[in-house]
Amino acid sequence: MEEQNFDQFDDLNITPTLEASILYVESPEEVINDAPGAVWYIQTFNFDAFNEAFFADNVLDGVITYELENTTSKELEIIFEFLDDSDTVLDTENFRIDPAPTAVLRREIAYGNATGRSLDIIRNTSAIRVSASNFGDNTSVSSLPDPMIIFRSSGKFRLRLK
Amino acid sequence: MNRFKLFQIAILCGCSALFAQNKELLYDFTEIPQALLLNPGMQTSFSWYAGIPLTSGIYGQAATSGITVHSIFANDGLDINDKVRNRALDAMNQRDEFGTTIQLDLFNGGYRSKENPQIFYSFGVYFESNTILYWPQDLAYLAFDGNADQLGRKFDLGHLKTKGEGLTVFHFGINKEIDRNLTLGVRAKIYSGIYDFNSSKNDGYFVTTEGENNLLANTMVADLELRTSGLEEIRRVLDDESDGTVPGIITKRALLGGDLGLGVDLGFSYHLTDRTIVTGSILDLGFIYHAGDVLGYTLQGTATTEGVEVILPDAFSDPAADFWQDLVDEIEALIPFEENTNSYLTFRPTQLYGSIRYNFGEPVDGAVDCDCGVGESSADNRFHYRNAVGGQLHMINRPRGPQAALTAFYLRRVGNFLSLKTTYTVDKFSFLNLGVGINVQAGPINFYALANNLFSYGNLADSRYTSFQIGLNILSWGAN
Repeated sequence: MEEQNFDQFDDLNITPTLEASILYVESPEEVINDAPGAVWYIQTFNFDAFNEAFFADNVLDGVITYELENTTSKELEIIFEFLDDSDTVLDTENFRIDPAPTAVLRREIAYGNATGRSLDIIRNTSAIRVSASNFGDNTSVSSLPDPMIIFRSSGKFRLRLK
Repeated sequence: MNRFKLFQIAILCGCSALFAQNKELLYDFTEIPQALLLNPGMQTSFSWYAGIPLTSGIYGQAATSGITVHSIFANDGLDINDKVRNRALDAMNQRDEFGTTIQLDLFNGGYRSKENPQIFYSFGVYFESNTILYWPQDLAYLAFDGNADQLGRKFDLGHLKTKGEGLTVFHFGINKEIDRNLTLGVRAKIYSGIYDFNSSKNDGYFVTTEGENNLLANTMVADLELRTSGLEEIRRVLDDESDGTVPGIITKRALLGGDLGLGVDLGFSYHLTDRTIVTGSILDLGFIYHAGDVLGYTLQGTATTEGVEVILPDAFSDPAADFWQDLVDEIEALIPFEENTNSYLTFRPTQLYGSIRYNFGEPVDGAVDCDCGVGESSADNRFHYRNAVGGQLHMINRPRGPQAALTAFYLRRVGNFLSLKTTYTVDKFSFLNLGVGINVQAGPINFYALANNLFSYGNLADSRYTSFQIGLNILSWGAN
């Protein structure tokens, strides 16, 4: 009779890595030109995906990927902020991008691993604030077709199910 | 709720059962009365029999076509995560299955008609439970690996297939010797469903692709359904939401107070020659209508999300919009999770048996074959050869299609008191399934014990298929 050791079940790890998009914002250049001041857009989004109990209790580490594409004639700045329930800023990511033609700006920020930022930022985030500033003029229009600023983001997180 | 989860686990893992259900040792073992349940047209020469209540037929079976308990939990020093990866995730597919069957005779009896000795009646009540769970391959990969870095891979939601039931069966059978060569039989059944759950017609997929706007798009196309009957009332009792007791609910539903159904078994035995017999039967041609304590769950629809999307200047029109909640609401509207109390019909897992048997050797105790009908003498006119060999076929209708097993057997009789049957069976669970059955007749006491896959008994945890059956009857042979 060969032996079994059912205590091995304690050593079983089920840690899938899940990924999905987070936030997409696009704005044509005319919206930027129509705004009176430098800050032409600011918006706080309720975002409960991260602080849902299942996710917050089981997340191990992850990466958030940002992508910024600017086909306008202006130098622009986008500030991406993570907020908790009391609107305290937990983390900030600044992006400054040159006028078109310019390369797509891509950045990956790690959370929870040895070199990453604290996972508590993710666990406690209940809202995201995006603010956008114009460092150019309010009249010029890029010669590229449909000039606009596009902000893309996605998250890839590892969870412990067992 | 914890107690209900325990109850569910008990159904799934404990008292539940797989639909393999092949009883190759019992089939056409004509000395055992319970073999009439597998072929109502079996040749019989009993005068009467009475099963000892609760002990006349006890049957259990467990099977797995993919891995064994030992595959994962062997104390071999290997990392369990590697074993799960190599022996389960990467080795099994959606056609692999787990499960068990339990059948218990509550009472069982039979008698030969005095007016027409060619007719033998049998009747009784038995409890049966079956459960089958197919390995949900793609869902297992999704659980272990997730969807990251797998753009375009469709995780098939149709891999989720499970089915289980518990019921009592009230039956009455008529077995008639038409002539010296042909015996026909029919058994009528009333099913009293205690519980049922099934989720076997699922379809759809989950896929992650590059987004049209954002970096990624997650798409779910779902047509999932779980139907249950007889479980909600138990859950309410366990959660103290209603009065009553679980045994009380089960007893009521077992005694025709639950879901009702009708079915029939048909069978025959025919002598091709004096020594060669073919038999066949079809069992459980029937249905159960689930109408009491029914609760169904559905998840149906199609949705694609690329996260929260803000398109300016359109978004300025509603600066107070809750984009996240709107997204959640939109997805829930596209793929609603809904409950219903719709009645439903389930068809019994119909089984088919067939066999050919060749008798040879000396007649038992020197009996002489005669051209006289059953019951006209005290002799067993057709069954007194010392040896028999043959082959059997078993088929059963399963959620993923018919499943077949082939058996070769050898039967040896020692006097009138002992019979031995050995079988070698090939099916999807095992290519080395050797079984042995013994039937002992001590005066009016009949005892039998049958067990297959004997090679597994050295390490049951490493067995893919194990079944046993025991029973105790009082019976009389020949004429009344």
